[in-house]
Amino acid sequence: MTDPITASNSRVRQVEAIANGTVIDHIPADATLRVAALVSGTDDQIFIGNNLRSTRIGRKGVVKISARELGQRQLAGLALLAPSASVSIIRDYAVVEKVPVPVPERFDGIARCANPNCVTNHEKWTTRFLVVCRNPLAVRCWFCERTFDTGELTLI
Amino acid sequence: MNFRGRHIISIADFSREEILHILQLAGELERRPRPDLLAGRLMATLFFEPSTRTRLSFEAAMHKLGGRVIGFSDPGSSSARKGESLADTIRMVDQYADVVVMRHPRCGSARLASEVSRVPVLNGGDGANQHPTQTFLDLYTIAKDFPQLVAGGPALTVGFAGDLKYGRTVHSLVAALGHFRVDLVLAAPRGLELPEHYIDEARQAGLKVTQVATLQEAVERCDVLYMTRLQEERFPDPLEFDHVKASYRLTATMLAGARQSMKVLHPLPRVNEIAQDVDATVHARYFDQAGNGVPVRQALLGLVLGAL
Ligand SMILES: [Zn+2]
Repeated sequence: MTDPITASNSRVRQVEAIANGTVIDHIPADATLRVAALVSGTDDQIFIGNNLRSTRIGRKGVVKISARELGQRQLAGLALLAPSASVSIIRDYAVVEKVPVPVPERFDGIARCANPNCVTNHEKWTTRFLVVCRNPLAVRCWFCERTFDTGELTLI
Repeated sequence: MNFRGRHIISIADFSREEILHILQLAGELERRPRPDLLAGRLMATLFFEPSTRTRLSFEAAMHKLGGRVIGFSDPGSSSARKGESLADTIRMVDQYADVVVMRHPRCGSARLASEVSRVPVLNGGDGANQHPTQTFLDLYTIAKDFPQLVAGGPALTVGFAGDLKYGRTVHSLVAALGHFRVDLVLAAPRGLELPEHYIDEARQAGLKVTQVATLQEAVERCDVLYMTRLQEERFPDPLEFDHVKASYRLTATMLAGARQSMKVLHPLPRVNEIAQDVDATVHARYFDQAGNGVPVRQALLGLVLGAL
């Protein structure tokens, strides 16, 4: 078995290959662990690599989930945590589909508002954020009308 | 333009044409009162935090149109104190009333209320976020003295002085002025300047924005000078507060260099930032401004209730 995080030899796989499932690649290194927490269920087999070299973003993270694809909610959360990541579907060790993280027009019930005085932090109500800028991703709370960089938000 | 059933939550929800329509109807109501327009209609005022000024203005507007008013103005007496959710309070009140006016300390509370209410909700202030009827009455006040604002013509110079960082009324009015031909002059103490993104948005809307170093300079350059309160809690150093308070205090002497037609506005209540000797000058407009809240709120009530 290869060392899962040997980055010095690019021909050695940096993170264990999976037979079937989902690979999230090009995660900003500081978001990797939050992405892993977002996508992993209790019974999932997960492989995490972080601070790997990337020609595109410098240091990156990779998260691989065996035998499963992401649900709508997880994709929405991923769009907030790592909008520039890519998502690949793996079948029989081969990439059958590779797409950028789909960023929706709005996020309902995905993240908490970072404004402590926002009504959504005091009443039981579904939060809503509208995308106001795609690159870099910024969203505005539908209720308190404050604009946030996605790094300021915590997922529910 | 159909406003029937519409909520009035944020100035950002309104186009230039809609704003003009509201101002025009306010003018008509001021010139020609309609004491029976809303006869038989009931307005509920839900003030989860006190604001005597806003509540009285809304109530006066409703009474002058022949409508009636119920509500509470003391948060201690409201069901929210007993743990009822805001949504449930609204679902109860919309069984009684034809229109709801609310003020609430949380940002976004009025938007939330509008999502459950079966009747129109008018936002009378939601925390630090919005107070749209204040913005409409500010625009109405400016347009009364300077019809060129809405009729077109040379750009009007509107100055803002004082705390431009935290002032909700300033932010909303600056955003709304983006619909019109206006140059902005900003005079703020260090640390209390208008946040960059409001300046950027104003420039994108085509407004010329100039920041000046002193209140006196703003006085001499403006057609309209919008003054705001300075709040001590924004200053970590009490000595600095005293110093800034003195340099951002408008006096009659300072107005000697102003244009004869220049008007001074203030959302009230004022504390020290406008000396009493300004009241008697031709420039003072802040009390008329408060009065203008009534026809503007009349127009909004008439519109959302489908009577105008
Ligand atoms: Zn919010």
